[in-house]
Amino acid sequence: MRRLREVASLELRAQLRQPAPWIMLLVLGLLTAGLASGNVMVASGDSSVGGTKAWLNSEYAVAQVLSILTFLFYAFFASIVAGTTILQDDEARVGDLLHATPLRPAEYVWGKFLGALGALLVVLALYAVVLVAAFQLMPVDNPDEIRGPFRVLAYLRPLLLFAVPSVLFFAGTGFAVGERSRRAVPIFLLPVALVLATVFFLFNWSPAWLDPRWNRLLMVLDPAGFRWLNETWLQVDRGVEFYNQSPIGYDWVFWLNRSWLVLVAVVAVASAVPHCRRVIAGETEPRRLRRRREAALADEAPRALGLAPERALRSLGMSASPPGLLRGVIAVSRAELRELRHQPGLYLFGPLILLQVLGTSLVALGPFETPLLLTPGTLAVRSMNTLTLLVCLLLLFYTVESLLRERTAGLAEVLYATPLRSGALLFGKALANSVVGVFVVLAAFLGCAIALAVQGTVPLRLGPFALVWGLLLVPTFLLWSSFVAATFALCRDRYTTYALALAALIATGYYQFRGEMTWAFNWNLWSAVVWSDLDLFPLDRAQLVLNRLAALLGALFFTVAAVRFFPRRDSDASRTVHDLHPRRLLPATGRLAAWAVAPLALVVVLGWQVRHGFEGELAEKQAKDYWRKNLATYLDHPVPGLRHIDVAVELDPAERGFSARGTYTFYNHLDQPVARLPLTVSPTWEELAFTLGGTAHEPEHRSGLEVFHLDPPLEPGAELRIGFSHRGRFPDGASKNGGGTPQFILPAGVVLHTFGPSFLPVPGYLENIGVDEDNRAETRDYPDDFYRDTVPPIFGTVATPFTTRVTVTAPSEYTVNSVGILVSESELDGRRTVVWESDHPVKLLNLVAGRWQVERREGTALYYDQQHPYNVEEISRALVEARRWYSEWFRPYPWRELKVSEFPALATYAQGFPTNITFSEGIGFLTRDEPGSNAAFLVTAHEAAHQWWGNLLTPGRGPGGNVLSEGMSHYATLLLHEQVKGLRARIDFGRRIENRYAERRQADSERPLTKIDGSRAGDTTVTYDKGGWAMWMLHNHLGRDRALAGLQELFRRFESGPDHALLEDLVDTLREQAEDVAAYDAFVDQWYFDVVVPEYRLSEARVERSSGSAGSGSDQVAVAAATTDAGGPDPGASWIARVRIENAGTGRMPVEVAAVRGERWVDADAEQAAAAATPSTVSRDYRDARAVVVLGPGESAEVEIRCDFEPDRFEVDPDARVLQLGREKALARL
Amino acid sequence: MIEVQSLVKVYPGPVSALVGIDLEIGPGMFGLLGPNGAGKTTLMRILAGLLQPTSGKVRVDGIDVARDPADVWERLGYLPQSFGFYPHLTGEEMLLHLLRLKGVTAPQGQQVLCRELLERVNLGFAAKRKTKTYSGGMRQRLGIAQALSGDPKLIIVDEPTAGLDPEERLRFYRLLAELAENRTVLLSTHIVEDVAVLCPRFAVIRAGRVVALTSPAQARRQLEGKIFEGSATGNELATLQSSHEVTQAHLVEGHNQVRVHVSEGSPPPGFHPSPPTLEDAYLVLMRDGRAPAGTGPVHAAAPPKAAPAAGAEA
Repeated sequence: MRRLREVASLELRAQLRQPAPWIMLLVLGLLTAGLASGNVMVASGDSSVGGTKAWLNSEYAVAQVLSILTFLFYAFFASIVAGTTILQDDEARVGDLLHATPLRPAEYVWGKFLGALGALLVVLALYAVVLVAAFQLMPVDNPDEIRGPFRVLAYLRPLLLFAVPSVLFFAGTGFAVGERSRRAVPIFLLPVALVLATVFFLFNWSPAWLDPRWNRLLMVLDPAGFRWLNETWLQVDRGVEFYNQSPIGYDWVFWLNRSWLVLVAVVAVASAVPHCRRVIAGETEPRRLRRRREAALADEAPRALGLAPERALRSLGMSASPPGLLRGVIAVSRAELRELRHQPGLYLFGPLILLQVLGTSLVALGPFETPLLLTPGTLAVRSMNTLTLLVCLLLLFYTVESLLRERTAGLAEVLYATPLRSGALLFGKALANSVVGVFVVLAAFLGCAIALAVQGTVPLRLGPFALVWGLLLVPTFLLWSSFVAATFALCRDRYTTYALALAALIATGYYQFRGEMTWAFNWNLWSAVVWSDLDLFPLDRAQLVLNRLAALLGALFFTVAAVRFFPRRDSDASRTVHDLHPRRLLPATGRLAAWAVAPLALVVVLGWQVRHGFEGELAEKQAKDYWRKNLATYLDHPVPGLRHIDVAVELDPAERGFSARGTYTFYNHLDQPVARLPLTVSPTWEELAFTLGGTAHEPEHRSGLEVFHLDPPLEPGAELRIGFSHRGRFPDGASKNGGGTPQFILPAGVVLHTFGPSFLPVPGYLENIGVDEDNRAETRDYPDDFYRDTVPPIFGTVATPFTTRVTVTAPSEYTVNSVGILVSESELDGRRTVVWESDHPVKLLNLVAGRWQVERREGTALYYDQQHPYNVEEISRALVEARRWYSEWFRPYPWRELKVSEFPALATYAQGFPTNITFSEGIGFLTRDEPGSNAAFLVTAHEAAHQWWGNLLTPGRGPGGNVLSEGMSHYATLLLHEQVKGLRARIDFGRRIENRYAERRQADSERPLTKIDGSRAGDTTVTYDKGGWAMWMLHNHLGRDRALAGLQELFRRFESGPDHALLEDLVDTLREQAEDVAAYDAFVDQWYFDVVVPEYRLSEARVERSSGSAGSGSDQVAVAAATTDAGGPDPGASWIARVRIENAGTGRMPVEVAAVRGERWVDADAEQAAAAATPSTVSRDYRDARAVVVLGPGESAEVEIRCDFEPDRFEVDPDARVLQLGREKALARL
Repeated sequence: MIEVQSLVKVYPGPVSALVGIDLEIGPGMFGLLGPNGAGKTTLMRILAGLLQPTSGKVRVDGIDVARDPADVWERLGYLPQSFGFYPHLTGEEMLLHLLRLKGVTAPQGQQVLCRELLERVNLGFAAKRKTKTYSGGMRQRLGIAQALSGDPKLIIVDEPTAGLDPEERLRFYRLLAELAENRTVLLSTHIVEDVAVLCPRFAVIRAGRVVALTSPAQARRQLEGKIFEGSATGNELATLQSSHEVTQAHLVEGHNQVRVHVSEGSPPPGFHPSPPTLEDAYLVLMRDGRAPAGTGPVHAAAPPKAAPAAGAEA
């Protein structure tokens, strides 16, 4: 023990003298301080001003931070620190000396490990202090809301249970790998592999269909423990009070997870002892190698006695001239490549990235969680972040170890004394190491090729991969490699280089996470690149080129620095101090700095472009000015109705330019005169001019709000015409950090609409401009009878429908679509002019242009890019069916044509403007249909429904209003699925959105549907998914005919404005259809005015042959007439199945419980599906018998079902008619 | 021509490894003799351009080594005291790699040259084996092969015969002697015999200072008539060591054969004059740090007329 203690203590001191632990502590500390501003809170609570917040120092929040941070950081840090301890002894060649002492291998191994572990734990302990200080003392906004009282256990338990086992695991496994391999690179393999597998898979891969047993297994496997925390506690939102106050309940899954980590660590270190013993005894050399060595020695002995032929050296005729750069590079890289062949990393990372790419590609999801149809370009861009991270990590390890190779091999003095140029040495190594990157990229390419082959739809093309991974990623890798080399050259230490480089990566990720990254500094292009098959990087191509150029020039600078400082010669400390004198330092720095001028200049240019771009500080300031100057005066200023819009727009996609002129004909639909009429314009427009009543007019300029002072005021019923003309660019300038933009005029296409002042003035003041986290107003409290007033529309500011005439001129190759019908088309000098007129009044206007093919059906047209023909049939069919059935169910479609137009994936939305729906290419056109997911149909059905729910019936601007748009469109989609695709499709879609609701809702802060205003986290899923489900259940409650009749009545009442419907109006209108008003009120009280969700659990399932008597029991539900799927009672029942059902959730709904046998659906083949219009049918082997039970919160009952088949399981709500949580758990197998 | 002026090297600590070295070394073999820790390797590494000195000037053929080490590397063959090779390369691949890095060519081509060099150092039989299978002696020979390659103008070898058996040592002496005919060969060693065999001129370095710059013959000559040899018992030896300057004491057939340096006064009783050896001279220098008369810092500029016969020390 004394010797073990001595080894451990020496190791501990040595480790703590290294700079790496302290750099890591510093980075962790800075990161934690940044996170302490409230970014790490549990995702629960009320995000609105004044709402109850989750504390950042609750045990759950601390556990969340520690499980993720310690995993991500210590995976590398602990592996490297513990893994290289014995390696360092080998390099220092102290092994023989140590093992010549009485020190035993076990003492040596455990001493080294415990010393390294001690250092890691010291850093962890210090980090814990930093964490406590940051979370308890850091100044934050509203500290009382997000910071609870200090509780030691809230920190201590997560530290001991999450962080320490993870650290132990990585230290133990890293140590064992280092001891076995005695090489540095294998040590890095485990953490890289685990981080990739964990972050990209274990942390968040949890599809709804995943069996809970598999889920538990994955929780056990996750070395971070985060999956357990997330799936067990955080995803099942328990409410903010729970997270703030309660300690974490650790269950057996957690203990199993932590135990195996500790066990593996201990076993790994213990297994190193016998191996170390064999190394000392020289027994670990491979037999082949040993035989060779023995043969060598045997050969050597006799030969050494004889003299070689004595010929003068000069007879060899040698001459030498220093090798040129190229020859040197080739020579070095050849030798390095020979070494690389023996690196196991090369062979392990290939399959790893291949699996990763395959895994993420095959489960890629788009809008509404629909499977994506991937193209080579989207695949290449989707893989960029992972590839960048992985290759950067590999290049870090390989570059450092490569630069150290001569020193560790003992060749440094020989090689460095050759006339080889340092540049050739570094370039040669970099060239060889780039093979690692190439290998990984090839593996990723193979993964993508397999993914495309599995899809079997989109052909493989090399171009996008070469472009994205070649032109875009190679500068990143060059920059990173040269940065690592320069860092190593300067600090001359392996661990400091690792620490600094990892710190750089982490800092980059942190700024990305905070949304503060810009084109100027996004050296690795994380999340900046958007792929569109319609054009190459259409939005920020110039910034992308400048960014890549800056990266290349930066790489050159770092290369020069690396060559300049590469430690080929050991420096002298006093000379170094002397060299730091300004007189010597300045010229030297100046020479080096000259190389930095070009990349810095590009960074400055990019910074300038970002600042002046459409997302830059100046644009933000203009928006803030608009808000600041006008909010108080014009927020609720009455805006007269529009009668007609007549605009002419000239588009110049190549220059992003447009010019617009036109007139708005207002009429005062209000009952009071209007003296001031505000129009919102863009501050970037030029040559903006107005007319009022046909004569030039200068309105009051109020930072983007042009206010027309009407003298005399516009009397009720009177008309007023305002003319305008202007020109501009849209978007004007660069984006902040790539990504996309919702509207644009680009060569790839044009998307413009009137939600904001992109190309046309918008009547009134827009309350969303200039509002961000800093100035977001407290959500408005609406009185319960708010809906009884005249409610303004949710979209735009104009309360009444209007007619439009839109004249657009664009280059001839573009087709331009707008609302209404095309009334004329002409072409002159390469420019086409089209005129669109509304054939029925509209409330919104948009304009979309592109180079398309067109597919026309009855009353519909689909405009698509020729590269995306895959779902044209499905979308066209959905459009036709939607138009037909929605017309029948809700209100006849009043316009002549319904169009869908595709636009580049700079935005990922679809928007249903009147007659003119726009789809991003990733929506519908590039979705993948598969059994259980009619993706293209789903998206089209939803967007088409907005023609009714949104356009014809525009909801009111008030709580619950958007449910009438999005929720009702989901409801319409449910109906259309069942109508067109069949029962299974409707059930699948219902379960899909139910699952989304369960995952994304914020139980604690969820408000009733009638109070949803979009201000809280979780409101989106309530609006869409619960909103759709609530109407679907109401539809079932009322009965189909009564429900549809009520909805038709709603259209009649609210379609024309100026009052706009809210959910209360829907409920009131449908109430008129209810047969049982009390039951109706009970229903709507639950689902529209309260927050309830049932959660059913089954237990005590059993089945027996019928003995002729029903069971007994006070809470038993005897079922006299069970039904089969085909319907009807089952008089010859011979089996009695019993199960206990409990409603562990809330709400009281009649719900079916079914005793089931066999699989319900069989997939029809393509031909049958086409013929039957349904992709699946009911299996002949399937049987079920059902009973209906009504349970309130916490109630349970035994259900008895008699059937003429032996069931194999019970299912709750087999037809998906009741929204519930945990449906996958509401199953009991017999 | 190597010129060293007021060379100082101080390691952090501070530890003075070299304290004002002045040397001028012309063509031919030059030895650097000194005990372990004397500063020989530091001096060699500075001369090889691999270590920055603290102060002083070092020039090789007029090139300032501190400022332009790369210019020195073009003409340098260097064998450091301890070194290794890429473990996964064969001996031939390793040497070929270094030939490429040095830009060495030969009419018969690099491959053939490589094999011939390996033959010269008696490693032809192991050319295809990976260097990690090499014994210490084989590694040393491969190191020698690379140092000799390219016909370098300056060869610096630091303890080159360590790990070599006598036969190989002899072979290496011959190679060095041949090379020294028309270039500067700087040999650092703590083995007096190496210097005696090979070096017409050598410097003795102790504690970072040159304490003698001489030739073997001159060093011996300075002790002419001052070395006496006799035998002594164990007790007598202890007395002798306190009363006289004992240079060497060996056990021969159970008796101590003792050699003493008597610069003044009379030799011990029973001791008779003996011809001085280079080892006597070296040990006298190491003992008192004084240079024997006539061995003070002098320029070692005279090239040898002919290579000394191997093993000709007497």
